[in-house]
Amino acid sequence: MGNLLEIELKQETFVTPAQEKEGQTFLSGAQAMMECLLAENVDTIFGYPGGAIMPTYDALYDYIDRINHILVRHEQGAGHAAQGFARVSGRTGICLVTSGPGGTNLITPIADAIIDCTPLVCIVGQVKSNLLGTDAFQETDMIGVTTPVCKWNYQITDPNEVPEIMAKAFFIAKSGKPGPVVIDFARDAQAAKMTKPFVYKKVEKMVSYNPRVVPKQEQIEKAAELINKAKRPYILFGHGVLIADAVQELLDFVEKTDIPCASTLLGLSAMPNNHPNYMGWLGMHGMYAPNVMTDECDVLIAVGMRFDDRVTGDSTKFAPQARIIHIEIDPSEVDKIKKAEAPVIGDAKEALKMLMPLVKKGDFTGWKNEFRKLDVKEYDKVTLRDLSQEGKIKMAEVVALLSDKTNGEACIVVDVGQHQMVTARYYQFKKANSFIASGGLGTMGFAIPASFGAKVGAPDREVVGIIGDGCFQMTIQELGTIAQSGLAVKMIILNNNFLGMVRQWQQLFYDNRYSFVELQNPDFITIARGFGIDGHTCSQRETLSDSLDKMLESKKAYLLEVIVEKEENVFPMVPAGTSVSEIRLE
Amino acid sequence: MTTYTICVFTENTIGLLNKITIIFTRRRINIESLTVSETERKGISRFTIVIKHEKREEVEKLVRQIRKIIEVLAVFGYLNEDIVYNEIALYKISTPLNGKSVDVETINKVYKAWVVYWGLDYVVIEKTGTETEIFDFFRYIKPHGIIEFVRSGRVAVGKTPQGLIEYLPEEITEWEYYL
Repeated sequence: MGNLLEIELKQETFVTPAQEKEGQTFLSGAQAMMECLLAENVDTIFGYPGGAIMPTYDALYDYIDRINHILVRHEQGAGHAAQGFARVSGRTGICLVTSGPGGTNLITPIADAIIDCTPLVCIVGQVKSNLLGTDAFQETDMIGVTTPVCKWNYQITDPNEVPEIMAKAFFIAKSGKPGPVVIDFARDAQAAKMTKPFVYKKVEKMVSYNPRVVPKQEQIEKAAELINKAKRPYILFGHGVLIADAVQELLDFVEKTDIPCASTLLGLSAMPNNHPNYMGWLGMHGMYAPNVMTDECDVLIAVGMRFDDRVTGDSTKFAPQARIIHIEIDPSEVDKIKKAEAPVIGDAKEALKMLMPLVKKGDFTGWKNEFRKLDVKEYDKVTLRDLSQEGKIKMAEVVALLSDKTNGEACIVVDVGQHQMVTARYYQFKKANSFIASGGLGTMGFAIPASFGAKVGAPDREVVGIIGDGCFQMTIQELGTIAQSGLAVKMIILNNNFLGMVRQWQQLFYDNRYSFVELQNPDFITIARGFGIDGHTCSQRETLSDSLDKMLESKKAYLLEVIVEKEENVFPMVPAGTSVSEIRLE
Repeated sequence: MTTYTICVFTENTIGLLNKITIIFTRRRINIESLTVSETERKGISRFTIVIKHEKREEVEKLVRQIRKIIEVLAVFGYLNEDIVYNEIALYKISTPLNGKSVDVETINKVYKAWVVYWGLDYVVIEKTGTETEIFDFFRYIKPHGIIEFVRSGRVAVGKTPQGLIEYLPEEITEWEYYL
């Protein structure tokens, strides 16, 4: 690090008790790492030990009264758990794993976290620095492997670097557009003593990285002018609102302007679903009116969202008539997919706060009614059928019933596929940070680890994982973690014995050629019991309500398997690559 | 296809080259030439990257994505008319005892190239210039027999009164990018 890279430092410093005790000897790299975690108020880490990270695990042994370590069963589980933790709590998730396979097993969560903007600090062991590049035992070039999928990475080979690098790591992970940071920690740097006292200074700014939080006034004024002139304005909000903790600001803005709004998949729960201005969520399997009305609005106000292809379909045909205001913290997202007439670079919370005094009080009753007219169409064609209570149990009724029973206040963690889309459609969210899903990467196997991670992050909340039978088997071993850590996570398997979403596509677009989508499933309840988790199966509609009650009343972890209709399709659907106006209701 | 020259200023740390080039790889943009060295400010590297692209807006997106790398301080994208640029080339030319002698005067005066090394039966000629000039000279000297030829990447400075380095944050300024 050259002298010019010096960072502006906060005057807060820590001299640790451990250091005083040890007198003249300085901390080891591993001890310094623990002190860094404490300085950043970390109380929970998810990890799995191994050869190259042993000095750090040894140091951790002296900190178990202050740092809760959750021992997972596979490093991928550690990563997704840290994501669940971060998403529900707004704090940075920490993973601690060994080199080689430990690190490579973490790649999927890292890739998931970068695309879904989740702050993670992943501490990965590395072989001794004199062995680097020699194909040593369990050596993987983690810097090379993670560069395309992480926000920042750094290899620590000197214990003296630990405080400065960790301070940067925490700052980078959490600030701007959050993302995963990988610290490749050489074994000798963990074991060796520092040659100077441990001093931790939190980083709040860096020369080369200083994302803008407060937008420029002229951008705000331009946006306000567009909003005030609009006849049919429409707000699309995304995950950025939750990340920026701008839930109240969004609500205030919507209530003052009376503009109808819709959420992206990851923006779900940022707005109470029963709010009169909330029109639903949009996207490939989103709701009919929010999708179709993107073609009708004159001004589109995009808040903390990035026009993902699952939102826009064919982006050239997405809202071509609309003048777009794009409130976004990352300048590289502006104009990436849709050209914004009024970009607002900054944090969603600050932007909405600054817009508030400049926008007029509005009344868009007529315009909102146009949405409601379309809702009727969706209700007749889709919702009625999904909730018809005919034939076998349908996913939608399970979710709708759960939503009623939990009063829309549970934290819902979903996996990827049909059950994910159905949950997004039928759970009526009332509380923020209540929908945790792998949206961008679409990682099957996300939900079991993410749900116990969420439970750790929000122990007082009811956390319910809604999981497909295919997904469940991708990280099924994490039931062991749930049992060992005594986490009262509730899990529902919506079992249709199919990889349902792929099957749906094969049915609709591949002429019913069901290529490798049917599963021969194990007895999930027996497996759960084997891990020490109680559960039962429900296959009859008459017992569904009692089954959900039993699960929700359990004081411990519980698995409810619901046997659902085998060949059910999720509608509405915007077929991939088409325009949202081609949305199908059946 | 339009030629763009992208100047990237970064912290001089290990692995930056990979972090930058991987963005080109991901967007399937071929790098025509690349030059890296430390600038007059200690600890800051300057990358000069030449690419060809049909769409200006795609290059703008590329510039913004490069700017996103944590260690990158600033990125500038240029068209050829905005910059003064040059490359350097070395030509190892066969000069056997009984062969045709090289016309040093023409080489110096017409082609502005210099013989920088005299071997026993070869010479090494150095020429700086644009890609076109370097290949014009290549065609001229080719009949002598080119044993080896190498061309550097482009180096460029902007045609603005100030130096690019003046745009760099000396302390905390804003997250800027330019094209």
